[in-house]
Amino acid sequence: MKPHLIFTILLLCVTSLLNAAENCGEKVTEVRPVFAAYTAEFGSAHLTDTYLTPLKYTGWHAGIDYSRYQSMKFSPEKWTMRLHANLGVDKTDNPARNASMWSVMLSFDWGMMRKFHPLPNLTLAAGGSTGIDVGCLYNARNGNNPASAKASWTVNLTGYAAYRLNLGRLPVTLMYHPTLPVTGVFFSPDYGELYYEIYLGNTSGLAHCAWWGNYFSLDNLVTADLHFGNTNLRVGYRGKIFSSEVNHITTNIFTHSFVIGVSGEWISVNPRKGVPPKISMIPAIY
Amino acid sequence: MKKLHLIIHIAIVGIIASITCSCHSVPEQTDNARGNFEALWTIIDEHYCFFKEKGVDWDAVHDKYARRIGEEMTREELFTVCSDMLDELRDGHVNLTSSFNTSYYRKWWSDYPQNFSKRLIEESYFNFNYRQTGGLMYGLLNENIGYIYYGSFTSPVGEGNLDNVLYFLSAAQGLIIDVRDNGGGNLTNVETFVARFITEPTVVGYISHKTGPGHDEFSEPRAITYNPADIGRIRWGKPIIVLANRSTFSAANNFVSVMKLLPGVKVVGAVTGGGSGVPFSSEIPCGWSVRFSACSMLDAERRSTEQGVSPTEGCAVDLDPLDALQGKDTILEFAINLFQSDND
Repeated sequence: MKPHLIFTILLLCVTSLLNAAENCGEKVTEVRPVFAAYTAEFGSAHLTDTYLTPLKYTGWHAGIDYSRYQSMKFSPEKWTMRLHANLGVDKTDNPARNASMWSVMLSFDWGMMRKFHPLPNLTLAAGGSTGIDVGCLYNARNGNNPASAKASWTVNLTGYAAYRLNLGRLPVTLMYHPTLPVTGVFFSPDYGELYYEIYLGNTSGLAHCAWWGNYFSLDNLVTADLHFGNTNLRVGYRGKIFSSEVNHITTNIFTHSFVIGVSGEWISVNPRKGVPPKISMIPAIY
Repeated sequence: MKKLHLIIHIAIVGIIASITCSCHSVPEQTDNARGNFEALWTIIDEHYCFFKEKGVDWDAVHDKYARRIGEEMTREELFTVCSDMLDELRDGHVNLTSSFNTSYYRKWWSDYPQNFSKRLIEESYFNFNYRQTGGLMYGLLNENIGYIYYGSFTSPVGEGNLDNVLYFLSAAQGLIIDVRDNGGGNLTNVETFVARFITEPTVVGYISHKTGPGHDEFSEPRAITYNPADIGRIRWGKPIIVLANRSTFSAANNFVSVMKLLPGVKVVGAVTGGGSGVPFSSEIPCGWSVRFSACSMLDAERRSTEQGVSPTEGCAVDLDPLDALQGKDTILEFAINLFQSDND
């Protein structure tokens, strides 16, 4: 019996060694899927710009939005990035309803966030981003001052809280994502300065250092991703506040909107390389 | 579920905090007679640019007209009081516009002779046989003098238009540019036009804007420089006479102030109407819009032209109605004689 036992033990050792050698030869590839959301938003807008009028205008807001999250390459378990673009259009009327003011704003920002997992199913992330906002408020009834241009480059605090739960048998991800500019540079003409004067070449004093005392903006996004399959239905609320005061010109742009769209997590596959046999999936959000 | 509640609470607190925190407030406006009156007075008080130059005590104006405001007054009555108040500024660039009326200070031209009849020019000097393009009416007078009438700077004039007009008139001994009754328009049209009469970058005036709501808060006047028309474009280097009257206003007033200081240019006719303040617009709670002078433009010698531009010394002429009856425009005749006497 002894030779048999020794042979069996040796066989097991060799097999396990071979298996180990096989496993070592296969590289585990880290895959960082992209979490993207495409949404439209509809709601109300409140505009004031004292360069154009001292009155508060109210009306509707509409917009489209794109968000793209992906874990960072250098430390994918801990860090994630977000690319975000938003185009908003507001059409508002004065209190007497005999004049209209339009606003078109385009925002673009990119940021990195450190992820934390304080509780099961809960991911918190905090970090910074930088972005630009460009746009214009237009009041057709004004002759020589019909428009108030907006442009800024800001450095922002940003982050999110994502919580996974089940509503019955439906998996749902709740997410709150605020973005708060802290500092930067923004454009404003002087109190009574015509854009014609800027056209003539007077560009002095147009750029202003932004801080919360003269430039406050906050983008609040609350969403629920309903996981019906590979693609999610995203519904939510966006509340965006922009308020600036410089050169005795006050601008307030407040929008509240219902958000609806799709989101999902996707992997890019190079058809020439194919799908790696062993992969480690590192989600962008969680 | 406690954790979920925690997250929801954080989100709600964040949203509420964001809505209520540091937004810059704008004073509420009340849509009643008093509220609209005060809103109008404040807009002018904080933005109008000629208080000092015109010696207007705007606080005294407030006291004078606030007494006429009553809560039971109709919109028509309120409009009348507001219009009367704005007339204190004696400014043709100040208007209050409602759905039923637009206020307008007319005395800047109504108290002066008109000094112009377009029909007289068309009939007596061209027998209705003139050319027109890009807002310009032009032709050759019998004395071999070119004549251009530019009736409004709101009519854009293109580089091609100007090339054709100046080429057509190139054999003339001199050029008369008539801007009588030109109520102004776009300053860029002034620039396009003047660029044909200069040969090097030229400071043509200064512009100053308000830097705050105080009556004395103005920016340092900044030079406005016009460049000559591009190489290849036709420029005019012969003598020019500009005809002006009291209804030459705003951008046309600016045109006269620019041309007057160019070499080889004389201004003939009457003092122009002024209107050197570039107007801004705003509105009051009831929806009436208000327009007012907000940026002051000075001539190249840093003098205000709000009260008008005088003709060149010795060139002040009024149109004689008796001459007009005989088919003669006294001001145009004066200009023609001036060319001829200069040639003698």
